[in-house]
Amino acid sequence: MNRTLSTTKNLFRSVALLGATMLTGGCVTSTVDEMVFNEPIEGIGDATVVILGRRHASDYDTEFDFIECIAKHIVARDRSIEIIDEIEFINSMYPWFEPRTAPLRPADIDRLMQQQPVADQLAALKLEYMIWVDGSTVQTNSAGSMTCGVGPGGAGCFGFGTWGNEADYEATIWDFTDRAEVGRLNTTTSGQSYMPAVVVPIPIIAPVQGTACDGLGDQLLEFLSSEH
Amino acid sequence: MDSTTSGPEHNNRAPRRVHEAARTALLLCALLVAGCTTKEVIVVGNFPAPLMEPLPVALGVWYEPEFETHEFFDEAKGRADSTWIVKTGEAQVDMWSGLLNGMFLRVERMDGKPAPEQMNPAVDAVLIPRVDELQYTIPAHTNVKVYEIWLRYAFELVTTSGEPIAEWTMTAYGKTPTAFLQSDEEAVRLAGVVALRDAGAHFITSFLTVPEVAQWMEELERSRTPTAAL
Repeated sequence: MNRTLSTTKNLFRSVALLGATMLTGGCVTSTVDEMVFNEPIEGIGDATVVILGRRHASDYDTEFDFIECIAKHIVARDRSIEIIDEIEFINSMYPWFEPRTAPLRPADIDRLMQQQPVADQLAALKLEYMIWVDGSTVQTNSAGSMTCGVGPGGAGCFGFGTWGNEADYEATIWDFTDRAEVGRLNTTTSGQSYMPAVVVPIPIIAPVQGTACDGLGDQLLEFLSSEH
Repeated sequence: MDSTTSGPEHNNRAPRRVHEAARTALLLCALLVAGCTTKEVIVVGNFPAPLMEPLPVALGVWYEPEFETHEFFDEAKGRADSTWIVKTGEAQVDMWSGLLNGMFLRVERMDGKPAPEQMNPAVDAVLIPRVDELQYTIPAHTNVKVYEIWLRYAFELVTTSGEPIAEWTMTAYGKTPTAFLQSDEEAVRLAGVVALRDAGAHFITSFLTVPEVAQWMEELERSRTPTAAL
């Protein structure tokens, strides 16, 4: 009797968990490509890394919060890796990392280093790797309709909406000491989100950007960390 | 004019009609005004000092009153539009003061516009910046999910007595993408800050490439070398 009760309880818990998962997350497909060489086998020691977003395209900017997400992902899994905050770095190097002036090739670093204050600042930061992330998350499609109303008896919505998101990011790793590109990682993630509404809208969001962040973060962690 | 033929002297019912027309016009105006909103953006931001070896120049800077209080006004063209006021004056002075202080060995704010009779601190030359044009776009205008601000500056480099040394123009551009829970005003303000930072970056990288400026710098350097005194 007790055994049957426990099995029923477990089944109920599993169904509830599955339902909760379905409710909180839509479907996401993710692909990560990797091409790296000269990996630091013993980690980066006390050197630092900076992750920067590319923002010189006319129709998109790599999101600041996406860069922050990757940095947090890496540091949370290996506390020995020191990642310089992107905005702090850009401000301390002003105006050499603005969209107009940022180096596009590793060879451009030599041009920057000709400025003594820039060379001194980079030396003080002990910068070993500069990682450029280029891409963005966009909404690809949307459909459905929803009507909301307010009456004396209360308020409510009815309808159904769905939309797709796609994230496409490429990370390029520059070795600062050798002034060379040592890796290129790419992640493409897509997902469909849903929002059915019967009185209360229930969003089923596909974590597209979050999955892209995790995918790119894991690959970068593998490159930078000696423990992964 | 033909319309005068329907004036009071020709028709007794005309005043009433004029009243009605005026009332209707007023109502329409009120409706039109009620449909429009005014969006005011005051661009403010923290502008970092440039990381560079200062140029060996004592530079004076004169901000025209129009520059210090620069604002852009764009009146709504329809009911669905908003009237925009983008105030950049304070941020312009903040940004340019910080930038020039880091870019040149000594920077002095002038007491008055350089002219033969004007008493001003002794400097090598005086820079007079001016905003010639400001354009903005919001996603409602372009269907692209980006807010943009484009600025065109005109610079004059003059002697303390107001004689021209160089004149040139420069553009600056700033954009910011749409973001969840971000108002149009906040996005335009951010685009303004990006445009001002871009203006600083463009000025630093292009100042010595202006032929007249390069020539003046060369002459200044030559005049300072001991051989020039011989």
